[in-house]
Amino acid sequence: MPGLRLTLQAVPPERVDLSPLTPDRIAGRSRAEVAALPLASGNRSLRVDAVFKLAGDPGPELVIEGDGSRLDRIGEAMTQGSIRLRGNAGAWLGVGMCGGTIEVEGSAGAYAGSGMQGGLLHVHQHAGDFLAAAAPGDHQGMRGGVLVVSGNAGARAGDRMRRGTLIIDGDVGDCCASRMVAGTIAVGGAVGRNAGLAMRRGTLLLRRPPAALLPTFNDCGVQVVPILRLLARAWRGLPGPFASLSAGDLRARRSMGDLANGGRGEILILLPD
Amino acid sequence: MLLRLKGGRCYDPAHGVDGVVRDLFVRDGVIIEPPPPGTRIEREIDLSGRVVMAGAIDMHTHIGGGKLNIARAMLPEDHRADPVAATAITRPSAGRAAPGTLATGYRYAEMGYTACFEPAILPVNARQAHMEMGDTPIVDKGGYVMLGSDDFLLRLLAAGAEQQLINDYVAWILNATHCIGIKVVNPGGISAFKFNQRRMDLDEQHPRYGVTPRDILRVLSRAVHELGVPHPLHVHSSNLGLPGNVDTTLGTIQASEGLPIHLTHIQFHSYGTEGDRKFSSAAARIAEAINATPNATCDVGQVLFGQTVTASGDSMAQHRNSGLANPGKFVIMDIECDAGCGVLPFKYRDQNFVNALQWAIGLEIFLLVQDPWRVFLTTDHPNGAPFTSYPHLIRLLMDRSFRKDRLAAINPAAQALTTLGTLDREYTLYEIAILTRAAPARLLGIASLGHLGPGAAADITVYRDDADRERMFAAPEYVFKDGELVVEQGRIVKLTWGRYHAVRPDYDRGIERRLREYCERYLTIRADHLRITEEEMHAFGHGAAVVPHPCRARS
Repeated sequence: MPGLRLTLQAVPPERVDLSPLTPDRIAGRSRAEVAALPLASGNRSLRVDAVFKLAGDPGPELVIEGDGSRLDRIGEAMTQGSIRLRGNAGAWLGVGMCGGTIEVEGSAGAYAGSGMQGGLLHVHQHAGDFLAAAAPGDHQGMRGGVLVVSGNAGARAGDRMRRGTLIIDGDVGDCCASRMVAGTIAVGGAVGRNAGLAMRRGTLLLRRPPAALLPTFNDCGVQVVPILRLLARAWRGLPGPFASLSAGDLRARRSMGDLANGGRGEILILLPD
Repeated sequence: MLLRLKGGRCYDPAHGVDGVVRDLFVRDGVIIEPPPPGTRIEREIDLSGRVVMAGAIDMHTHIGGGKLNIARAMLPEDHRADPVAATAITRPSAGRAAPGTLATGYRYAEMGYTACFEPAILPVNARQAHMEMGDTPIVDKGGYVMLGSDDFLLRLLAAGAEQQLINDYVAWILNATHCIGIKVVNPGGISAFKFNQRRMDLDEQHPRYGVTPRDILRVLSRAVHELGVPHPLHVHSSNLGLPGNVDTTLGTIQASEGLPIHLTHIQFHSYGTEGDRKFSSAAARIAEAINATPNATCDVGQVLFGQTVTASGDSMAQHRNSGLANPGKFVIMDIECDAGCGVLPFKYRDQNFVNALQWAIGLEIFLLVQDPWRVFLTTDHPNGAPFTSYPHLIRLLMDRSFRKDRLAAINPAAQALTTLGTLDREYTLYEIAILTRAAPARLLGIASLGHLGPGAAADITVYRDDADRERMFAAPEYVFKDGELVVEQGRIVKLTWGRYHAVRPDYDRGIERRLREYCERYLTIRADHLRITEEEMHAFGHGAAVVPHPCRARS
């Protein structure tokens, strides 16, 4: 066992801020020291061993077991190592993450990957609203790294996203890529209403045509899009179907918008080979 | 209860006490003469080897009023990044550049500050400002009410009203708003901004009323003087932040025509136009003028590097700087046609030429003004830096080698344009006690604060002597507020709510009829509603008393 394993004793009655527990922050500490670290929960402070059973010793890998739906800020600003959740994650998963990997076998709450700058974040099931979005008051959402959601995501995915890659294999809610500044979002399933609302630049790649596009998106016709070949190559090895995107010439229907906000963003709807 | 603070090394400049070991006796929240031998002492605390001063006073800090709430709303990231956890007796709060009221009070008290004065209360917003200040725990509060760009005053001036009428108006406003002084911000300029003017010099006529900033300064400083308000007119001069504004500032000192005048955040008004970039330090000229003008005082408004937010009534200057907002968001607004407000986040960077020179100019002023009774330690919180950086500033003043090390790290072009490296002055503990205690209390006319003599409120700060002055001033060992131990080892141990300080100059009631008619016709609020009652003040301040300080009218 290369790292520490935390097993949730019971679902906590209030939300718990787990940001102190990242592999880089607990590196070099003993298990007993980690057990005594304080975790904020509501207006109280809890010891780690009051919430979890601990096994193994701190190392590059951290495993969290149990239903973590109330565990917030997992992997905040982590720079290296890996966190594996054998269950769900709460809100603000991987917020401001700079490097390393986080893998969630269940689902994640709101604001997963907000302000993320680097590393790989993979949610096996679903993600909540504001995936990779800007925190209230912030000017930028996701700023780098790769975020893959194998299931569905909620509304406002990629809000104010600035750089990096966001892949959602399932469906995504309303206002996907709203206020997007740059970067790439790929959606395998259906998209909700108002995709690309107030989008400035960036790419929203869809496998399925949406029910309707905003009237402020301008249809530029079907084109061979060379950048998709490079994307396909870059995505090899990632989890999910986008990893096996054809490396040949891909054709897509390209719409530019949001014309109400500069209109330099694009929505690409992939056509069958 | 009789409390004896035994054997501390006292610094009490109001009584010329410079590091003398003595006992202090406190009864019923007041420092008393040593009681006769044999008197029963209920509690004794041994302070041997400790440094003892009166509680510190921040005479210019933006802790209440509409602009602070705008800053708070605009900077959720400031609050997210800096939470203040609850304890058994304190409640949670947050924020560093724009802290919540609770965080403000807790952190001031933890640094040994026991009184804070909000310098920009607009009459129409005074109720809101007092509510926020009343909700600021532990410290005493007071405010300066802002005049000079209000339509009522400008109309009076334009019509050539007699000084007596202006005095009545100023006195009525002070009474109605429970403030302790009069502040003027960019005299007339905030109003001129609304008539599309983007700069206003000292002798430039207002496009509508025809009066000049110099007229406004002359009339208001005379009003304050004749009413006998102890605190001189508190002046934020014209042309804040503009290269070459030193001439305006020197002219402003002259505009008071020999009457007392306080120039606030003078660092922002001490810029020349020399050098390749047409931006240079004029600190030497400013300090020379202050040294030569006994009726002038100043506080510095020191810039310290890092993220903060600038919140000012000077909408003209803030509009000019709005492109520099970092992160890029700002608010410039009019308030009830009587003044304005500009809030923009700002990050001072040590590698930026202008910011680095601003830092050096502030320190030059501290070191070149000879009389420590006439220069005050402020960062114009939060405009130059959050108040939590005061201990760092004190170390810069007291520790020459630390200062020179910091100087060596700033933008090289700025280093080349400052004389800071040649200034070897180091402030002593006695001088720091003047800057932060004795002098502000004297300038505000508050006899009970800022000293350790009999009759003083027992606001006492006890420091562990430490060669690292930043560490020493950041976490006093004990802080007493009105004789109660409120902070022990840097942690709040008791919650109190402080009191308000105000002045109540007399005036001719005839002004009220005129104001009623004016408010009825032009303002959104009636004159009778502008006036805040004492009951309201008690309610805002968790039962806090409003202490009126005497005015000696002169005519």
